[in-house]
Amino acid sequence: MSYAVGQELPTFIIESVSPEAMKQWAVFLRDPNPIHLDVEVVKAKGLGSRVINQGPANVAYVMNMLLAAFPGERIEAMDSKFVDNVYGGDRLEAGGTVSGVADDRVNCDVWLRADGQRLVISGTATILTQRVL
Amino acid sequence: MNENSDLPPAPDVAGTSLDGTEVYVISAEENAALCASTGVAPAADGSAHPIYYYIATQVAMGKTVAGVCNVCEFDVDDGPMMGSSGVVFQKPLMVGAPYRVKGKILGLARKRSRKLGVMDVLTYRLSLQDEADAEVLQTENVWVLPRRELA
Repeated sequence: MSYAVGQELPTFIIESVSPEAMKQWAVFLRDPNPIHLDVEVVKAKGLGSRVINQGPANVAYVMNMLLAAFPGERIEAMDSKFVDNVYGGDRLEAGGTVSGVADDRVNCDVWLRADGQRLVISGTATILTQRVL
Repeated sequence: MNENSDLPPAPDVAGTSLDGTEVYVISAEENAALCASTGVAPAADGSAHPIYYYIATQVAMGKTVAGVCNVCEFDVDDGPMMGSSGVVFQKPLMVGAPYRVKGKILGLARKRSRKLGVMDVLTYRLSLQDEADAEVLQTENVWVLPRRELA
C-alpha cells in the first residue's frame, strides 16, 4: 500500500458515546472521578448536563482510526492535545491526513470531532510501516 | 516583568518519583472489554489496544491520580484536566505480559489562563518496562490544575 502527503484517512465513527462505557473506563483506569459517572455531579460543578467521557477513551477512538487506516502496521508515536470535552451521547468522528512519508514511517495529523463540528482532540501520529513505500 | 510574577510560586515538585511498585498485566478479558467499548475487536496477534500505554502507566505508577494531585497541593475534587498526552512505543503492548513503571514529575508551572484564571500545569514522564527491564514505551502527560482560589 502506498501513502501520499495530503491523503485523507478514512474516518472512524462512534455513533453515540455510551455512559455505560464510561463506567467500564472508570474501572480500567481505576479512577472513579464522578464527572464520568454521575450527571448530578457534572451539573453541580457547572460542567454541563451530561457525563463527560474519559480523555484516554477519546484517544483510543483516534488510535482505532489509525489502526484501520494502516492495517497490519503499528503506531510508533502519538501526541494528543485535549481541546474540549466529549459528553455522553455525542456522535464522534476521528480522522486524519498524511503529513509526511519517509523511509518506513508515515506521519499524520489527526483529530477527533464531536457532533460534526466541535474539535475535541488534535494531534499527530507516526505509523511504523513494514512495507517499502 | 513576567505577567505571572505576582503569583505565589507553585509547589516545587520537579523530580518527585513516580516509580511504581506493582506489576501490571493486561488481561485478555479486560482488553476485549476495552476494545468493545471503543467499537473494535481485539487484535488477533496477542497485542493489546495501544491505549493501554496510558492505562498501564497510570494504574501502575507509584501514586494514584489523587496522590499526584496531593503532591502538587491540589485537591483532586477541584477537577484536574488532561492537557496533552504523548507516547513513543519501542514495541507493542502484549496481553498477559508483566510490566512495571518508572517515572517522575518534570515540573509544575503556575500560569494565568484567559479561560481558567490561574492554573498549574503539571508535566510528568513515565516509562513502561517489561520483564527484562527493557523500555516498551515512554509517555509524557500534561495535566491542568485550575487554581480558582488564586484567580
